[in-house]
Amino acid sequence: MITRIFWRLVDISSGMLDSAEREAVRGDLSESGGTGSQALREVLGLVIRRQAALWADWRPWLSLVSVVVPLGMLLSIISRSTADLSSVYIWMYADNLDWDLLVSRGFWYEFAHCIPIVFMLYLTLVCWAWTAGFVVAYVSRRVIQANRFLFCLMLLFGVLLAAPKYLEYYGHYVPRALGLPFVPNLNAPVFAQAFYRVILPLIVQAVLVAAPSLWGMRWGAKATRLRPLVRLIACIVAAATLASMVIQEPGFWLFLRAYWRPGIWQGWQMHLLQFVVYWPVMYLVAAAIRRRRYRKAVLA
Amino acid sequence: MTVDLYYYHNVVIMLGEFEYLILTAATRLGEDAYGAAIRREVENATGSACSIGALYTTLDRLEAKGFIKTWMGDATPQRGGRAKRMVQVTANGVRAATEFYAAVTQVSQGVSWTTSRGKTR
Repeated sequence: MITRIFWRLVDISSGMLDSAEREAVRGDLSESGGTGSQALREVLGLVIRRQAALWADWRPWLSLVSVVVPLGMLLSIISRSTADLSSVYIWMYADNLDWDLLVSRGFWYEFAHCIPIVFMLYLTLVCWAWTAGFVVAYVSRRVIQANRFLFCLMLLFGVLLAAPKYLEYYGHYVPRALGLPFVPNLNAPVFAQAFYRVILPLIVQAVLVAAPSLWGMRWGAKATRLRPLVRLIACIVAAATLASMVIQEPGFWLFLRAYWRPGIWQGWQMHLLQFVVYWPVMYLVAAAIRRRRYRKAVLA
Repeated sequence: MTVDLYYYHNVVIMLGEFEYLILTAATRLGEDAYGAAIRREVENATGSACSIGALYTTLDRLEAKGFIKTWMGDATPQRGGRAKRMVQVTANGVRAATEFYAAVTQVSQGVSWTTSRGKTR
């Protein structure tokens, strides 16, 4: 059993080597007939040497500092805000459900109003996360394996420590510094429960951020195979999506002191940006159609 | 262009001793030189373990210097159907190894461990 686990770990870690080298190394390990733990040590040694050689260059560091860390932090903050917002709706229905309400038309009217809001919040978050993963993989293809790990580490750090601290600072100290009146948190009973305070943000981060990011990384790593024009369009749309993510972050508007500018959310540019955010859905549908056509052509 | 790789401004760029071991093992193995076989040769010669990490990164370095050529060979059943990374020492590699050996031989002349084995002055 343990031997099988070690060999499974050898398979996983050798995935960080390029395909030809993986083939040669796995063959050498089979031929030498060592134990699973020895094989794992050997493969990890090679992987570490390979990664260390890649990180001797300045470019991976630039992509880490300018893309991986900021996007990881930003996604964590937005994911936490989204989880908090959806917590209120979920709490309202899950913790306060009264069976008598089910016969009320008003209840269903309100329910039908809330479901699309939560769905769109989650879909938007998934699209942002997918785009972030796509961009991370596109700008750091050579160190994608390490960046995959670092990005997930960043998301974990973000959801557990950085995002709660940031939102606490934003909610408590910034209004005070700006001389705004104190507004008590009307949703305090929701966040008194550990599930909404700790567990739900973790679930949202894992399911709606980490998983789509890793999925987006798979597509971003393959993006160099796209035709130049398609690649250019993908880059522009991804940049616009990330820009929309930045401006949704509450602190950004505060930083620009533009939060209270009238009509800023009603401009056509905002509507266009909100539409562009869903590009991963269109991209994946287009890729699936293309793959299907290609299969049909091959079979014919 | 690779011919003068180990001569730069009249300074001889020497091989590392591990690089020399690998070049020598690969030359000895001839057409049967590939990762696992070279590793066995080096381990037999030195009596200590040779890690796959050290072997493959050194093979890359030697290839970048133009001292060896590598390519993926055929898959064999005793390797679980996986291909070998075959190695061939180039003329530059032979020259580098020869010069390294000559330098080591020359610098070692007259020292205690080459004249009277086991005795110290």
